[in-house]
Amino acid sequence: MEAPDEELMLAYGRGDAGAFETLYKRHRGPVYRFVLRALKNRSTAEELFQEVWIRVIEARSRYAPQARFTTWLYTIAHNLLVDHWRKKGLSLVQLDDEPTVAAPDNPARQAEARQSLARLLQALEALPAAQREAFLLHEEAGLSVAEIAAATGTNEEAAKSRLRYAMAKLKAAVDDG
Amino acid sequence: MADEREISQRYRELQREEPPHHLDQAILAAARRAAETRPAPLVVPTGRRRWYFPLAAAAVIVLAVAVTMHVEREQPDVEMAEAPVAASPPPAPQAREEQAAASAQVPTEPAPAKPETKRKLFAPDPKPAPSQDLRAQRDAESLADLQKAQKPAAPPPQDAVSGARESARADAGAKPFSEMQQAPAPVPQAKPAAPMREEVRARASRAPDAAPAAAGALGAFAYASPEQWLQGIDDLKRQNRHDEAEKQLTEFRKQYPNYRIPEAILEKFEKR
Repeated sequence: MEAPDEELMLAYGRGDAGAFETLYKRHRGPVYRFVLRALKNRSTAEELFQEVWIRVIEARSRYAPQARFTTWLYTIAHNLLVDHWRKKGLSLVQLDDEPTVAAPDNPARQAEARQSLARLLQALEALPAAQREAFLLHEEAGLSVAEIAAATGTNEEAAKSRLRYAMAKLKAAVDDG
Repeated sequence: MADEREISQRYRELQREEPPHHLDQAILAAARRAAETRPAPLVVPTGRRRWYFPLAAAAVIVLAVAVTMHVEREQPDVEMAEAPVAASPPPAPQAREEQAAASAQVPTEPAPAKPETKRKLFAPDPKPAPSQDLRAQRDAESLADLQKAQKPAAPPPQDAVSGARESARADAGAKPFSEMQQAPAPVPQAKPAAPMREEVRARASRAPDAAPAAAGALGAFAYASPEQWLQGIDDLKRQNRHDEAEKQLTEFRKQYPNYRIPEAILEKFEKR
């Protein structure tokens, strides 16, 4: 049986570098995809991904398992995303209420869009940031509505609403094909 | 719900991007480095500084022990015991002048001796301080001069201070305790033709220990040591004045808490 994330993190806090390696291997892909699809920019996503893990490393000695490790990890990622958006002059309300402008169509993407998956991806990129984030937290991190609310610092109703809107839009995009 | 499952399934069919290898290596290396290094202390003592704290702690401990031992060993000081009397504020300059002037004139009525208190009478004075000895000696010399000067006249009355001291010195240990305790010796009226005597009196009144000397000179000199005090208590017992003797013994023990009364004397007290 695999050790829980929380135990691994505590072991790392006590100096067990191997515990961190296990933890990293377990979460590296989902966190990377969460950041990459939230930002739509690979280099920025890589920077932010690295920053997430640096924060985890720095917090090793004061980590206390008050919630699931996954929720804590994605809370860090969410906060870094919010900082990034703030630097770009965007606010969470804007991200929540106003749909982001869809990526400009280009011939290559239009060709891909013929396929259902490509349409899904395009629809995901077109989602408002808050809805996209809620969807990614649900799909990549496997968080429940309550955990999404905790990770993004909002209430459950708002998290549930965002997730429902995101699902509806993505379904519509897939069905359009 | 079915829609959600379908979307989730479709999403998982998307390309599963992974972080680049160099990023993995950089993060894992940073994690290993962090695990190897322990949190640094707030102040890193280096070189000579590393000895500062232990040395300071040792010095404080040694000092504390030394002070404690010194305090424990220290006996009650004679000067300290007399401090309340000696520290009493000296008479105001004006009052002093008046006093001096009054003594220079013909004293119609000598100042009544201050009422004695037992405490003053039995002031713990195992060894009179040298300064006190000198003063007493000076007074005695003055008195001798005075007596010489007054020889043709009537027998000179003793001065309130020096006279008492002289008689106390002469009778120390010889007079029964009861007599000594009843110290208020009548101060005879001073004669006018005795300038030296007046000088002595003025000096005595100015002296810092004039008050206790005038009040309890007899006792202070009679019981200059604990042994003499015990002798006085013994005298009281001998005269069947047991209550007074007990009081004196209690007072003695207060004054000399560390003094071990010889068992022979205690037995003598009990027998009586």
